Amino acid sequence: MTSIPIALNHACPACGLLCDDIDPQQLTQLDQVCKKAATFYTREIPASVASIRGTPATLSEAIKAAAGLLKHAVAPVIGGASTDVHGARALIDLANATQASVTHLNAESTLRNMRVLQQRGWQTTTLTEVRNRADVIVMIGTDVVTYNPRFFERVVWVNEAMFTSAHARQIVYLGGQALDTRPGCSPDGRAPQVIACADADLPAVVAALRALVLGRPLSATTVGGIQVSVLQSLAETLQSATYACLVWVAKAFPHAHAELIIENITETVVALNQKSRAMGLSLGGSDGDTSVNYAHTWRQGVIIDAPHWSKHDALVWVNSFSPHAELPVVAGPTIVLGAADSVFTNPPDVFIPVATPGLDGHGQQFRVDGSVTLPLTAAKSSAHPSLSSVVQQLLAALAEGDAT
Amino acid sequence: MITLFKQATVIDPAQQKNRVVEDILIRDGRIVAALADDETIDQVIDCTGMIVMAGAIDMHSHIGGGKVNIARMLLPEYQAMRRLQEPEAHLCGPNCSHPATPNTTDTGMRYIEMGYTAAFEPAVLAVNARQAHLEMGDTPMIDKGGYAMMGNDDYLLRLISQQADQKTINDYVAWTLHATQTIGIKVVNPGGISAFKFNQRRQDLDQQHSHYHITPRKILQVLSRAVHEIGIPKPLHVHCNNLGVAGNFQTTLDTMGASDGLPMHLTHIQFHSYGLEGDKKFSSAAAQIAEAINRYPHITADVGQILFGQTVTASGDSMMQHLNAKVANPKKSVIMDIECDAGCGVVPFKYRDQNYVNALQWAIGLEIFLSVNDPWRVFLTTDHPNGAPFTSYPHLIRLLMDKTFRNEAFDRLNLDAQAMSNLKALDREYSLYEIAIMTRAAPAKLIGLQDRGHLKPGAAADITVYREQADKEAMFAKPEMVFKDGALVVKAGRVIKVVWGATHTVKPAFDLGIERDLKHYFDRYHTMQMHNFKISDDQIAEDGRNHVLNHSKEA
Repeated sequence: MTSIPIALNHACPACGLLCDDIDPQQLTQLDQVCKKAATFYTREIPASVASIRGTPATLSEAIKAAAGLLKHAVAPVIGGASTDVHGARALIDLANATQASVTHLNAESTLRNMRVLQQRGWQTTTLTEVRNRADVIVMIGTDVVTYNPRFFERVVWVNEAMFTSAHARQIVYLGGQALDTRPGCSPDGRAPQVIACADADLPAVVAALRALVLGRPLSATTVGGIQVSVLQSLAETLQSATYACLVWVAKAFPHAHAELIIENITETVVALNQKSRAMGLSLGGSDGDTSVNYAHTWRQGVIIDAPHWSKHDALVWVNSFSPHAELPVVAGPTIVLGAADSVFTNPPDVFIPVATPGLDGHGQQFRVDGSVTLPLTAAKSSAHPSLSSVVQQLLAALAEGDAT
Repeated sequence: MITLFKQATVIDPAQQKNRVVEDILIRDGRIVAALADDETIDQVIDCTGMIVMAGAIDMHSHIGGGKVNIARMLLPEYQAMRRLQEPEAHLCGPNCSHPATPNTTDTGMRYIEMGYTAAFEPAVLAVNARQAHLEMGDTPMIDKGGYAMMGNDDYLLRLISQQADQKTINDYVAWTLHATQTIGIKVVNPGGISAFKFNQRRQDLDQQHSHYHITPRKILQVLSRAVHEIGIPKPLHVHCNNLGVAGNFQTTLDTMGASDGLPMHLTHIQFHSYGLEGDKKFSSAAAQIAEAINRYPHITADVGQILFGQTVTASGDSMMQHLNAKVANPKKSVIMDIECDAGCGVVPFKYRDQNYVNALQWAIGLEIFLSVNDPWRVFLTTDHPNGAPFTSYPHLIRLLMDKTFRNEAFDRLNLDAQAMSNLKALDREYSLYEIAIMTRAAPAKLIGLQDRGHLKPGAAADITVYREQADKEAMFAKPEMVFKDGALVVKAGRVIKVVWGATHTVKPAFDLGIERDLKHYFDRYHTMQMHNFKISDDQIAEDGRNHVLNHSKEA
């Protein structure tokens, strides 16, 4: 459709929120807006070239070398997978051609959530619902802003909400360490409620909250140093809320088996929804983790794999949004289809620079809440090819090898 | 490239052709009446003794988008289960995913193997349309399209409650079709998904929404009128209030009157045809529903037949799915509120023939099929995957065409359910001609696919060639040949060539002035900007596997 002309802003893929109000004229002045966005948009894009074991090579030489390595691999793995939906599609094509397993930089946190989903299901909401409805927001084990710096600005302390008084929202932090709770202060200076406990106690505290919401008796008077009466009052706040929102960030939990904490959060929501309204909201995320897991699910019928690096004899590593991410060690060669500004301790066997969606390439990315996908537009120009086009060439080289 | 189908036994209801033996000519993917003098035939397909129909069109099947993908994620055990003896196991190769949660590749492959050349996703959440198109774009072999969900989005509910004029609503509806690249408008539990967000647990047709103080009847009036006035062929696609509730047939009958005689399509009507009779207070109201469909020419319906086995229900109806979550099997479910736009509920389900309610649901669906007189107004669906996976269509066709087979299946049902159904008194057996109406000619006409669903000159050469067999399930499970846009893609039930199909849309004219208020709304309340809500043709075509077909005349 033809449309009213508007100066298009960029959607920022630096975290899972995909804030789509980034002014192309202000890319070097984002420091006060968002540290993550500022870091992303000030990334230098060197005119780096492909290399084989650190020695510069042409693109076709590098493709040929990568295809040769992959042909000899029995159990390759595609890791990092820090890309967008289109990159994910290409990587899945590559996985199908090479029988590779596909995992992701954020596989650990993604799979924590997936274990809860696959065990019990859940009841969740999305950012615009929270923005317009939530009158009580409880953040569990996290300040959110460490992962999603603009959450409060974009979703909580907004000028206007359709169904609630935005500035009157009740903000609660439950557990978590070294939290920045300042963003939880309301615009009129009302401080949030902070219910602190040691990380080791958080599982018990969340379990106690769930029990109280369910109306189960607790014989203890304190849990993890918190008076049960404080948790009881939180349970009542949740029960009397018009629309309560329980927020977690899967990555923020330092606990082994953090899925058990998440399940207690989501089952608290399920219990609340028997009588009142509440919803869970999983935040954090990106490096395209949602996009890659979703695309993998619709293309393959199953979610991404957990990494078992030592069991693989070749690695294809994609690091578009995390050029500094440490390369894992596998029992065989490493091929990096990576950002031009990638940093390696040891050079990989093959390196091919690719464009980063939203920085020097276009793309589409899923937001952390899963329902919304946004187009990513190139903020800078570069000569680097897209991941998809490199993978297409790699597939052609693999097929050529098959034919000979 | 010119292909001649020689001596085809043509069943083409759009031309009233019933077993007419004739030749069909195809040039470059289109059917043509005759060749020019200097043209020569490149390929001859001998169709002697073969039944030839247009490719089948599934007008309601959940093939892509958020809730479909949630179902895949939720149920990894289905992938392990797929090796068990499911009713559809004979259709599945060693690598295929479970038919209730197929991956996008399997969706396309299983459809084309059965001679289906198009499927329409009936519940595209406007805000989630980009994902739906990404998934459909990764679905090979068939054409795709979607109906955008409206009627629980706060923008529309605000407009109606503020008594906006009909023109404004029409503009918004047309804008939504453009923005979401869809071909129809659907309403799911009108007002109810929104009401659930305000902690309402039921929403009756004439009950006021607790926040907006408007009724579902009003939403249906406004939307059916908008769809009519912007002039798109596909009538408003209606998933009624009170899905699955005993006694809901009255809501369904009342809903038929809500559009003041304007066309409406009531979807998966089986799930909305339940009475309150009998000891168990759950009975068939198929007779009343079928009688009403027969009486009201403005109403069409698809059945949403259930078939026994393991499946998953994926619906936009978060309100009713929240209730259904109590009977989830396996015991887990996902309920979502989504973006002040819609919601969803994904609840796995196992239909059992020894369960009274399930057995009666099975009978109710068949009673409706057999009691609606006009096959142009009742459509063959299982509401995939909600009633059963679409791969069970051949089985369903046999149930409709073979009374003995149907009655034998009936005799295996829960006995109390048998006592509550008059199915055995219904002697009707569908003919091949009637099946061709339900699965080709009628869906193409309903959706407005001028060049599909028939074999007239000018039509796209989506053609299915069957070997006629007494066992209609076997016949429809594995056609001899399937052609997509003129290319032979399936031979003897196996895919021999991969093609990607296109996305069917409508783009009715509207006043772009609506964007001023929409932009203001997005800026005030949303977490994304209006321009990102809109999906361009180029974005659909990205990665080179898909393209947009626009069925509207240029505005």
